[in-house]
Amino acid sequence: MKTLSFLAVVGALLLAITGCKTSVNSVENARKTGQRQMVPDQRAVTDMALARTVSIVGVNSVMTPGGFLKVQIELLNTSRSPQPFSYHFEWFDANGMQLNSLTTAEFPDVIQGGEDRFISSVAPTPACRDFRVKFIAN
Amino acid sequence: MKNKILLPLLTAVLPLIALSCGTNAHYIQTGGSQSVVSTGYINIQDYIQAANEMTGKLLASGALDRVPNPPAVLAISRIVNNTDQQIDTDLLIKKIRVAVLESGKAMTTTTMGLGGTAEDPLAQGLQQQNAQTIRTPDFTLSGKIIQLYVKAGSTSQSTYSFQLSLTDPRSGLAVWEGEKEITKQGTRSSVGF
Repeated sequence: MKTLSFLAVVGALLLAITGCKTSVNSVENARKTGQRQMVPDQRAVTDMALARTVSIVGVNSVMTPGGFLKVQIELLNTSRSPQPFSYHFEWFDANGMQLNSLTTAEFPDVIQGGEDRFISSVAPTPACRDFRVKFIAN
Repeated sequence: MKNKILLPLLTAVLPLIALSCGTNAHYIQTGGSQSVVSTGYINIQDYIQAANEMTGKLLASGALDRVPNPPAVLAISRIVNNTDQQIDTDLLIKKIRVAVLESGKAMTTTTMGLGGTAEDPLAQGLQQQNAQTIRTPDFTLSGKIIQLYVKAGSTSQSTYSFQLSLTDPRSGLAVWEGEKEITKQGTRSSVGF
């Protein structure tokens, strides 16, 4: 009886562990034609576990034809488990004042184990010069 | 002996557990990660996310810049609700209107509406009375909200598709189109993303 219970627990644990594992394979052109304008970034990390599963590879930006700042962030999940998270862009004008917009949203997202992906956002007004992105584990 | 220890302990702990299960009413950030998520309804965070993404794409496209006298003038056309819910489409459209106005790229007319119905009848009356030259809108904004619902066992899944078209009324051609799909899956509503 004890052995049966033990096996059941071990089985359930194994199922729980293996059931959460994900992995992503990808392919891309080796000789890139597009050049990313990388932005030197400054990071504040208070959640070490999240910083590992949603690790920031790099930040690049571009000005759209209409004069809006567009920011793209490359993320990498260095673990083998999917990580649900949400992110939120904040925008600042030339004086460092935060520009709140009605449509400033917190976006829920999931990054698969080993996945490398991008998130991006466009500034709400042409007056935006700087940005900050917050990441929260869900 | 065991009962003598366990009974008071349980008596003390059980009310604590019962109390901690309930949540007192409190304020949360609108559309924030503490919001209630339900598969059967469009939540406020869904409208905010859809408006955010589509406004970003609309502004980045530069479509609003291609007018002879900037800023562009927008008129709101029909927004079709193809969901099984009674919704106020202004939860989506107003956010986009505010955002494009704040961006300085476009203004929305409130004296012109579908079937001659103005959003602001007083302004429309005054405008006609004063025989002001009425500026023809550069663009009209129309759209649709669609719901797709599927169920597998006790798990239900809803996809809400928010679609918008920006049309040049002179040519009748859509100069920009945007779509944002939001999918939610679960067995019951929950608090938080």
